[in-house]
Amino acid sequence: MRMMVVFEKGETLRYIGHLDLMRAMQRALRRSGLPIRYSNGFNPHIRLSFAAPLSVGVVGLRELMEVPLEDGVSEQAFQDGMNAVLPGCLRIRQCRALADGFPALMSLAAGSRYLIRFPSNAESDRAAAGFEAFMALEHYTAARRTKSGENPCDIRPFVTGGTLQKTGEGWEIALETVATAAGSLKPSLWLECLRTFTQAGEFPHIIYRTAILARKPDGTLVPMEEV
Amino acid sequence: MTYDFDALLGRVEKPGRYTGGEMNAEVKPIAQADISFAFCFPDTYEVAMSHLGMKILYGILNSLPYAVCERVSMPWVDMLSELRKNHIPLCSLESHTPLSRFDIIGFTLQYEMSYTNVLEMMDLGGVPVLSAERGEDDPIVLAGGPCAFNPEPLHLFIDAFLIGDGEDSIVEVTDVLNACKKEGVPRAERLRRLAALRGVYVPGLYHDEYNADGTLKSLEPVDPCAPPRVLRSILTDFENAYVPTSPPVPYLQPVFDRIMLEIMRGCTRGCRFCQAGMLYRPVRERSVDKLVELARESVRNTGYEEISLSSLSSSDYSCISELAGRLTDALKDQRVSLSLPSLRVDKFVQDTLTHTQKVKKSSLTFAPEAGTQRLRDVINKNVTETDLVNTLTNAFSNGWNAVKLYFMTGLPTETDEDLIGIAELAKTAAGAYYSVPREKRVKGLRITCSASVFVPKPFTPFQWCRQDDPETVRRKQRLVREHFAPLKSAHFNYHDSGVSQIEACFALGDRRLARVLHRAWQLGCRLDGWTDQFRYDLWLQAFEECGLDIAFYAHRERALDELLPWDHIDAGIDKAFLKREYERAMRAQTTRDCREGCNGCGLQKLKGVCRACE
Repeated sequence: MRMMVVFEKGETLRYIGHLDLMRAMQRALRRSGLPIRYSNGFNPHIRLSFAAPLSVGVVGLRELMEVPLEDGVSEQAFQDGMNAVLPGCLRIRQCRALADGFPALMSLAAGSRYLIRFPSNAESDRAAAGFEAFMALEHYTAARRTKSGENPCDIRPFVTGGTLQKTGEGWEIALETVATAAGSLKPSLWLECLRTFTQAGEFPHIIYRTAILARKPDGTLVPMEEV
Repeated sequence: MTYDFDALLGRVEKPGRYTGGEMNAEVKPIAQADISFAFCFPDTYEVAMSHLGMKILYGILNSLPYAVCERVSMPWVDMLSELRKNHIPLCSLESHTPLSRFDIIGFTLQYEMSYTNVLEMMDLGGVPVLSAERGEDDPIVLAGGPCAFNPEPLHLFIDAFLIGDGEDSIVEVTDVLNACKKEGVPRAERLRRLAALRGVYVPGLYHDEYNADGTLKSLEPVDPCAPPRVLRSILTDFENAYVPTSPPVPYLQPVFDRIMLEIMRGCTRGCRFCQAGMLYRPVRERSVDKLVELARESVRNTGYEEISLSSLSSSDYSCISELAGRLTDALKDQRVSLSLPSLRVDKFVQDTLTHTQKVKKSSLTFAPEAGTQRLRDVINKNVTETDLVNTLTNAFSNGWNAVKLYFMTGLPTETDEDLIGIAELAKTAAGAYYSVPREKRVKGLRITCSASVFVPKPFTPFQWCRQDDPETVRRKQRLVREHFAPLKSAHFNYHDSGVSQIEACFALGDRRLARVLHRAWQLGCRLDGWTDQFRYDLWLQAFEECGLDIAFYAHRERALDELLPWDHIDAGIDKAFLKREYERAMRAQTTRDCREGCNGCGLQKLKGVCRACE
């Protein structure tokens, strides 16, 4: 059987990369004593996979992975068993046993929702002031770093929604992005573009991914765990 | 975490080095502890987290109800400059507490080339670098580990050294300092109380004098609390000693990313160049039953996928085959693989080979150390060419195709013939491969030979020997390289002579080197163990400014009756034994493994310590 697992990757761990997190999860699975299904072959390992890699520096509030298990593990047993052996900064929030034939989570990933929080100061206020104008643009070309180097790329098609809110300590931007044929957009690059456009200098901020999105048959985007 | 520190993380390489949050990392609230201890590893996080000693002491200290221990490692250059630029102090991983706010900070000294990091870390943490400049509220600075056996080059910076096994010693020291803190005992008196403990050396209570030729005249206590000779601590109940079965499991991959099961401490071989073989006597083993239980517990608490046996010479463990078999059986359900490191050529058993590959195949490493039998006899490395050929042939017919061979150049009495012997041995290894029928061997033979530069170390029979000067080192390396040129499947690597030279100075150095170290650090030396960071030019400048001669320390043969800078430290081994071994070496005479009969190294005099001698 496969378990769909919603987990939080906390603030402390936001600089831990994809592969390191994968190893940490594999080790937690071994600690848990849950009946894991190992791959066959010369070098048996736990074949877990993440729905969508999280970029380094971003906190993940509802990250998704799927774990191959021997049959008969209940969702509650899995969640409790894992939370008992995970450090405080990694928490399982929800589990769902997947039906046979449920597509690989990775194939469903269509987009992400982010929350960008920053305290108010001269620089961040300037960025906030220009937010609406920036969102109204139809195109914005930025140098996107990919494996093949820096490529000029229109980042606007990646962004499907964005709102700005005033909070107690400053500002909060909710951003929704989708993957396109050209790949996906890092929220840090989007923020950099906003700063460049509004001529704001660097300011302290923290980025959370609040959901990994999948597309319903009618085309609407919803958190993948709701599909 | 503050936005300040946070902003730095986004700008440095591998920020995971500085964020902690690992499974099993201690979360005891530091504010509620009676006494706080910062365990400082003077190298990067990845190196620190590979170190078994730190995991042991971290676990022991945190098991004390009144103490809390947190970890600190040396930031990489990018973080160093960010911290300095932004005036952010070096903090612990667990609670982000600046170094200066701990009651005790303890450094482990694994390698002489980490000494500048000790200074850099204190300075970054807001702790005065010089012991004499620390006030009542500053932490007490401790240091231990193998390099503490010659503490003098660090005597200006460290308040107290812990000599020998740290398990019991660190608790005694922490207890005393905790009591002192409660009573409000002044710093000077606290140090005097430490000096009275077994295995503790407080350098500030001793005075040194020199002869006209620059050699040491005397190094004696100037305070009645300080013993004339400091006897090292020895852990006697190794079977039941604390084992860190739930150490922090790092996210960032450390150098050794696995469970390290310490099966045995000490070594009976008596290789004459090997400091660890002398310092960690006597040999102490854990039982197979205990080890299987510890392995199970470690897997349960860490989830590691690999376990390795840790000791100076694992194949000398009395029941190595039984252990390998039982561990493999105990761990196979969880797909945990067993790797067997530092296997000695002469005792590599067929069934151990079979056990290793049951789960996973790891690479083969051997250390013949020298190219000819004559020189191997000089260093008492009792490995013969026949042993090597048999073992390799065995391995090659069992599916291995890569082998690493470790050597040293510049060993005492070495000739060009011994150096050419290194290439000859590589050729022999290749011969062993081709002697296996084509259909039985795996394609793509790779032989890697690495040669380090011999560094004479205190408490070894070679402590009186000289190191080759850099020019000789380079000539010898060239010679070996030339003989490797025609070999197709063999590759020769060698170490830089400059690093080894400074290492020799600090291994063999006296108190005067502390000024060189201080100056070199002021000039910008740090992370010297990293080839790309090592600044030979600055080290030369520091020696010159201090008016000290590198050759005097590194390239000078010492007289057997010279007073050595570490003679006031008692490692348990007699100087007479070391002299005897030195003389036998010069005659190329080997000495038996002391399990076959006591060689009288000196430990037999300590009651209840060396079982073999009872």
